[in-house]
Amino acid sequence: MVEGAGDKLQLGGNIQVGVDIGGTFTDVVCRSSDGKVRFVKLPTTRKDESQAVLQSVALMAREWGIAAADIGRFAHGTTVATNAVLERKGARIGLITTDGFRDVLEVGRQMRHQMYGVVLEGETPVFLAPGARRKEVRERVAADGTVLTPLDEDDVRRAAAELAADGVEAIAICFLFSFRNPAHEARAAEIVREAHPDLMVAVSHEVDPAFREYERTVVTAFDAYVKPVIDRYLARLETGLESSGVTAPLQVMQSRGGLMVSSVARQRPVRLFLSGPAAGVIGARMAGEAAGIEDLITVDIGGTSCDIALIDKGRALVRSEGVIDGYPVRVAMVDVNSIGSGGGSIAWIDRGGGLRVGPQSAGSEPGPACYGRGGEKPTVTDASVVLGYVNPDYFAGGAMQLRPDLAEKAIRDHIADPLGMTLEQAALGIHRVLNAQMAEGIRLVSIRQGLDPRRFALMPLGGGGAVHATALARDLSIRRVLVPRHPGILSASGLLSAPVEHEMAAAFGRSVADSNPADIRAVLDGLDEACRGLMARERLDGAAVTVRYAADVCYVGQSYTLEVPLAIDQADALDRLYEDFLVDHDRVYGHATRIPARIVNLRAVHQAGGGGAIEGVMEWRDGPAEKGTRRLLVAESSGPVEAKVYDRGAMPPGFTFAGPAIVEQPDTTTLVEPGWHGAIDAGGSMILTYQDA
Amino acid sequence: MTQPHLQLDPITVEVVRHKLDGIANEMESTLLRSSFSPIVKEGMDASASLFTIAGETLSQACAVPIHLATLIPIVERLLKDFPLASMKEGDVYIMNDPYLGGTHLPDIAIVVPVMYRGRPIALSASMTHHQDVGGMTPGSIPTNATEIYQEGIRIPPLKLRDAGVMNDTLVKMLRLNVRIPDVLMGDLNAQIAACTIGARRIAALADAYGDNLLTTIFQELLEKSETMTREALRAIPSGTYRYVDYMDNDGIELDRRIRIEVAVTVADGAIHCDFTGTSRQLKGPFNVVRSGSQAAAYFAVRALTDPSIPTNAGCFRPVSLTLPEGTLVNPKEPAPVGSRTATIKRITGCIIGAFQQALPEKVPADSGGELLTLAFGGRKPDGSGNFVVGELIAGGSGAAIRSDGVDVVETDASNCMNLPAEALEMEAPVRVRRVELRRDSGGAGKRRGGLGLIKEFEMLDVEATLTHRGERHFCPAAGAHGGQAGAPARSVIYRADGTEEVVPSKLVTVLKPGDRLLVETAGGGGYGDAALREPELVASDIANGKISAEEAARLYGSAAE
Repeated sequence: MVEGAGDKLQLGGNIQVGVDIGGTFTDVVCRSSDGKVRFVKLPTTRKDESQAVLQSVALMAREWGIAAADIGRFAHGTTVATNAVLERKGARIGLITTDGFRDVLEVGRQMRHQMYGVVLEGETPVFLAPGARRKEVRERVAADGTVLTPLDEDDVRRAAAELAADGVEAIAICFLFSFRNPAHEARAAEIVREAHPDLMVAVSHEVDPAFREYERTVVTAFDAYVKPVIDRYLARLETGLESSGVTAPLQVMQSRGGLMVSSVARQRPVRLFLSGPAAGVIGARMAGEAAGIEDLITVDIGGTSCDIALIDKGRALVRSEGVIDGYPVRVAMVDVNSIGSGGGSIAWIDRGGGLRVGPQSAGSEPGPACYGRGGEKPTVTDASVVLGYVNPDYFAGGAMQLRPDLAEKAIRDHIADPLGMTLEQAALGIHRVLNAQMAEGIRLVSIRQGLDPRRFALMPLGGGGAVHATALARDLSIRRVLVPRHPGILSASGLLSAPVEHEMAAAFGRSVADSNPADIRAVLDGLDEACRGLMARERLDGAAVTVRYAADVCYVGQSYTLEVPLAIDQADALDRLYEDFLVDHDRVYGHATRIPARIVNLRAVHQAGGGGAIEGVMEWRDGPAEKGTRRLLVAESSGPVEAKVYDRGAMPPGFTFAGPAIVEQPDTTTLVEPGWHGAIDAGGSMILTYQDA
Repeated sequence: MTQPHLQLDPITVEVVRHKLDGIANEMESTLLRSSFSPIVKEGMDASASLFTIAGETLSQACAVPIHLATLIPIVERLLKDFPLASMKEGDVYIMNDPYLGGTHLPDIAIVVPVMYRGRPIALSASMTHHQDVGGMTPGSIPTNATEIYQEGIRIPPLKLRDAGVMNDTLVKMLRLNVRIPDVLMGDLNAQIAACTIGARRIAALADAYGDNLLTTIFQELLEKSETMTREALRAIPSGTYRYVDYMDNDGIELDRRIRIEVAVTVADGAIHCDFTGTSRQLKGPFNVVRSGSQAAAYFAVRALTDPSIPTNAGCFRPVSLTLPEGTLVNPKEPAPVGSRTATIKRITGCIIGAFQQALPEKVPADSGGELLTLAFGGRKPDGSGNFVVGELIAGGSGAAIRSDGVDVVETDASNCMNLPAEALEMEAPVRVRRVELRRDSGGAGKRRGGLGLIKEFEMLDVEATLTHRGERHFCPAAGAHGGQAGAPARSVIYRADGTEEVVPSKLVTVLKPGDRLLVETAGGGGYGDAALREPELVASDIANGKISAEEAARLYGSAAE
């Protein structure tokens, strides 16, 4: 699907390009200096994802007349790191640890997630480095950083030689208390690099300088595991872009929502796991900002899962530890929570005669029955077709012809007939059950953050969410839904809006009362220097760099921390830190007491550029917005209702309408239930508001 | 918003079920979020539940299986003492006494009636393990208690709040009997907040669906789960299945092994667990009141039937228990019950183990099934105060028909995290010398049992009191279907003066500077004949350090060649 194709662009400015690779499509968004925005979707090239990116450069030249040399910024969101883990296609790695602690990676924290399971499966990422590829070296640093046993350099040489002989591509090094005294780790890394210059190295005090050896080992091992894969991928992409004539630096989105130049990303690959979703959240935040809404719950309903993120007062929530494929990865990432229901979730009848939806999913292969690819089980998407919400001739903008007959057959055979219901009742039932499930999931995500969902607006992100949005909002007592002009390309557009960001952290480990601003300043100076070193590798053309500091704070004796902003150059910095910690603690945990708190880590975040939502510059077609009417069954009505069908592309700012309605656009379909009123705002966003009858 | 037109159809029933699960989760989240004590926040030792007015569980959220259904006897007892007709908006009930339906004294239950148009339509309940409820030791789980009176304050069913008015007399009594009254009250308030949220959301459901329809749906949900559970039980071959296992000792009489015997009868869609043959009650605090055995039986039913059956009281209706009076599963007052977790773990293991022959696909060999509990306490070297650190260490899980056991993992009724070496060393003058999988500890078999853990501690420059509560030191985890037993647990203290002391499973002692404690937790049992293990698996175990070449040759014979 190409929008804006044909009319050649007037060049001469700085062209910005955002390319986001998803499982099915590679989205490309391009903004020229006059603010004009175009986008295109290409099929993702799974074998080598860089191919689709390079194809997009050719396409931009062909369709829009954009010369590669005029591209001033090339920002990229990638799933390569995540796929390497999900598909177990990372590098063969080895792990070197302190003598006596070889098995920390395999023992983990001993908890299980299958609480009611009796036949258990291991829950630690042993696949990264099984016992034979974990080596111990004699060395020991105490909790206060003093050396108890000097590093045995021969041990390091021997371990590295054995691992190299075993065919590893990368080595992770994690010693006890290296966050207190990194000398042994640094020296060991040096020895490994000297002896084996072809091996990549990940060192724990650089990847994640914080206490708890299991979590630090896991994140360091993951860094080593994806490093060769990311390195090859980004190198290929850099070379490809260069030979296509793109001179702009390649920037890559990090999990916490900032960009970094490819050469730095290749050294810090573990920060790329949520690259795509982070871009989506930034895109959502910018779209919200353009519409004047700063409290948002974003809901991205895919085939097998639903991703939920919160934007509170214009700030995307970031968590300090994420989960990839069930494993803890202690690196800051946007707080995206997945629940296991989506458009491909299969409806079934349990042995007690109840209608259930999920957790099994038809995924994208064979997919819902209506895809006509051999799927026979009824899914949520099939229900959407039966209910008339989704136009079978206009799915993904007409890219795929759906088969309503197969959707009907699946629902009739598996649900309606066995339950003695009409086809429509059964289809509506599937939606009601799924929506109840998802609404409870969304509620829990916000409650866990201490945030009341009712004060947020709901924003569907991606293509699948808008058909459920008003039903979910009603269930959550949310009265406002924001459907961006192009929810299907929010990730790619987020890439255009994101700042360049570098972040560095160091363990500190002193109580707030015992801390002295000069000591903190000294640590932050070191972090600043490291961040500046990274920033120097970005081509920023003198853009202003803003510097923020934060501290991870907890009560003495607690083991979970909250990230609290730290204004270290203010006279009362530590008092304010403590007061702000109390406020946050009260919000998240429901109480705060004036007892001693501890600064666990210090963090510096350097940011440059960013901003500029693509909302507000979207175009619309002349001509009637109304395409006709359709009879629908919706949850709140006893019988079918007559819904107007609108063409989003022809709804100009100021356009208003009322539910029941269907709004169609190439990248999504919005169901507007009765009781909701819609308006297109000045920037082209569609705002749906619930009005009491 | 508009009043929908809904009737009792399978879809509305399913929607309400999701709401009830969501409400329990929201209550639990509120409880964990707003509680103060680390044991709730970090150990997640708390749970929330919704009940019908007949005292049957509608939905429950818990992070630790030992809490499963544990509020049921409490709610039953409360309903006896406080009839429904007497309940008012703003009432809050409290109790903890094990002999009246509770678990052990630190677990305090709070129950709030859900009032709708002047009558109760449901009950909203929560249970929290409180940091301290008085008694002979801080933390209220004395390992050397011989009477419940030493374990803390006993609370019978009482009103903590009467129509919105706090019972100040009771509050004063409670505050005076515990060591950290502010924390107790803070955690009780978190429980009340959680129950209030549950009550408010149930009332909103009654607004949406009508209270009569809603309570009809409650019954429908229970009946459906009952039907599905009975059907799943009918799929298990009928018969009586027996299992016997032993615990090491009760910490008081060190040479007396503790027998747990169960006869599980499955017939006609029902299951009965008879504990006749189990040891008489213990002097030490390892006795278990009814709620604990019940949680164990429900866990087993839940684990062995269809996991997609929605969990509510319907699943529990087909379950009955015979708990002979005067045994450790039904002790007589005033037997101590504080350290019951180890016993509940073993009871759970026995009930599940009883199905080894009947359900060979679903039931693994015995697990290490121990949660070694260590505590180090003393004065900080710089004289700045005291330190107390606790450590919980699991053993290996049992092998199953198609998979090896998992090394060092929490099994059955408990699910706790261990303590990072870096956390321990920053908190206490103790050094961790190693953390290693315990090679050769997994029971041999076609599928190998999971390995235990070796952890070695060294006391630095001060003295400390060590409390060591082990299991499986004398009674290893049995193998199944020809598999061999896992290695028993073993702990040794190497004194700085060169002497060695083997720990008899339970011990309280003083560690001096330079003394070392080496603990080795139990391995899981093996499954199937070791001779049938694929040679490549044996080779991979040797390469990855899970078994030594010598033991491989001895146990797996030609398979190890």
